[in-house]
Amino acid sequence: MSGEPTGHSGGAEAVADFIHQVKLGIEAGLDPMTAAQSAAESLPRKLREALEAVVLRLQGEYHEDEWGFDEQFAEAVFPLFEFLYDVWWRVEAIGAANVPAHGRALLVPNHAGSLFPFDATMVTTAIMKRHALPRWPRFMVLDWAFALPFVSAFMRRCGGVPASPHNATRLLEQEQLVTVFPEGVKGTGKPFSERYRLQRFGRGGFVEIALRTGAPIVPVAVVGSEEIYPKIGESETLARLLGAPFVPITPTFPWLGALGLVPLPSRWRIEFCEPIDLSEHPPEAADDRRLVFDVAERVRETIQTRLYENLVARGSTFT
Amino acid sequence: MSLAGRRIAITGVSTVWGAELARLLERDPEVEYVAGIDAHPPALELERTDFIEADIRSNLLSRLLPATRVDTVVHCGILWYPEPGRPARALHEINVIGTLQLLAACERTESLRQVVVRGSAAIYGCEAASPFFFTEDLARGARLRTRFQRDISELEDYFENFARRHPELACCMLRYQPEIGADLETPLVRYLSLPVVPVQMGFDPRLQLLHADDATAAIAAAVRRQVRGPVNVGPGGSISLSRTLRLCGRPSVPIPQPLFEPIVQRLGRQLGAGGLLGDGVRMLRYGRGVEITRLREEVGFEPRYDAVAAVRDLATKLAGRRVGPGLDLGALAGRLTGIGR
Repeated sequence: MSGEPTGHSGGAEAVADFIHQVKLGIEAGLDPMTAAQSAAESLPRKLREALEAVVLRLQGEYHEDEWGFDEQFAEAVFPLFEFLYDVWWRVEAIGAANVPAHGRALLVPNHAGSLFPFDATMVTTAIMKRHALPRWPRFMVLDWAFALPFVSAFMRRCGGVPASPHNATRLLEQEQLVTVFPEGVKGTGKPFSERYRLQRFGRGGFVEIALRTGAPIVPVAVVGSEEIYPKIGESETLARLLGAPFVPITPTFPWLGALGLVPLPSRWRIEFCEPIDLSEHPPEAADDRRLVFDVAERVRETIQTRLYENLVARGSTFT
Repeated sequence: MSLAGRRIAITGVSTVWGAELARLLERDPEVEYVAGIDAHPPALELERTDFIEADIRSNLLSRLLPATRVDTVVHCGILWYPEPGRPARALHEINVIGTLQLLAACERTESLRQVVVRGSAAIYGCEAASPFFFTEDLARGARLRTRFQRDISELEDYFENFARRHPELACCMLRYQPEIGADLETPLVRYLSLPVVPVQMGFDPRLQLLHADDATAAIAAAVRRQVRGPVNVGPGGSISLSRTLRLCGRPSVPIPQPLFEPIVQRLGRQLGAGGLLGDGVRMLRYGRGVEITRLREEVGFEPRYDAVAAVRDLATKLAGRRVGPGLDLGALAGRLTGIGR
């Protein structure tokens, strides 16, 4: 990541300093317009650049790619992810170098932790912080989340797209890093008692995509996401009311209201396993059901084994 | 096939897009003959286009069209929005029944070789979870939610049937994304030029708005190359609504989603941005993108403006005609700090 002062933290400081300078200017007898312009000019270079970024953003002069990914926005909210990563969940990332630095690749983690795709954001953060050549992965998000106000716009700007094979294929063809969760809702919605037991990997659609595009598969084992919202039951009425696939009941939610939505501070480990290279198979191999199931099973077993290893390596859950 | 010696009939010349196409084709000296068919006079002054006054909903067309001995019919008479004199309930008649009558007339025109329809990408609908770039084969299985979407889907069915029964004709369905242009009188353009633009709270859709020049050039390219089947027509890339409004210098007011449609309807009556019905409202919530590989490779047409450039062009042209001081935060911040525009 570049160290450019963009977005919120630098921006807020710049705006505060700018207003202070304008006030001084007006007190010195300048008219507001001149005071503002001279204040802008006298700011230190770094702050001026930050102010510039804020102003240009207000004018619509920023970059957004065709997927609606807004790197400036992602960098501005990144400190929040970093806080969760370093302080809240004390994530330890292993094997980030296994993620290809260039070209297309499919990241396949286990999925847990209901409600919000925190595991997707932590996988992203691990790559941005621990990889020698970091790049923003794009992640597939449950359809339902894209119907939600605020959540949908937030995720889209951070690189999320609705889970669809069309989106995944097109992103890979553009040489992107793509995160998919083959377990889907079955993974996030499973009860606490079944934690770290991988669910069925759909119909192996992610393998078909990888075969068709020739992208390597990087299995990812995420330990810790299972404990952030320990699901002990679910409310069907609430789910139907909200149109959600499920609404979990945890020891804190919905009993503590919005406070119950604060994820528990479990300790996390994320391991990126060796990439599975599928380039020996031609794209037509995607129609070979047996091969698809074989590869899917291989990925699933790799993740399951690494999950248990990392579970042992992590030791106690919360400390 | 080039345009040399072509005889072309265009329906819907009372719409801007029909008239623009007629003007483009009549200016090409290679084109032998251009006929404009509509119940109302052309939207633009046309020189050598032969205006044939006929309602496409009537079967009069079955007698008039064969007499013109045209080899190509371009159907520009599909209406997206209700207009003065064409209320919402007339749209179904004009769009579906009109297309049926036109196809019946085409069957009797022996000189005919090609039929191009200026349809709509509305057939894909706007869903929260839809792929970000629709390919042409994804129209099947789309959920039909709005009246307009159902109409488009119905007339595409008829057209596909017609194409199957007449393999000797090159039948092409162009699926257009909405067009923008400072001179266009569409509800969407009027919406984007409101002094303060209501948006749906918490939603920031990705849009593909086609520049009006590209819209006309694309259909002309489709007439030149005899492509068969459906082809998406849109700009490259996409742009979010929030960035669109910032580039246009229009402040937005977030409105809770259930209140959005009634408010836009009411504003519409007063400020002229009405008619943003079902389909438009859904597009301003979830957005819609199409893949234009077929347009590029098979029609051989590359839009001159991508999604961002089309909006920039609109913004420049709208800036000149703003009434009164705007509430434009971007411009204000720019003027205070001397940054940007």
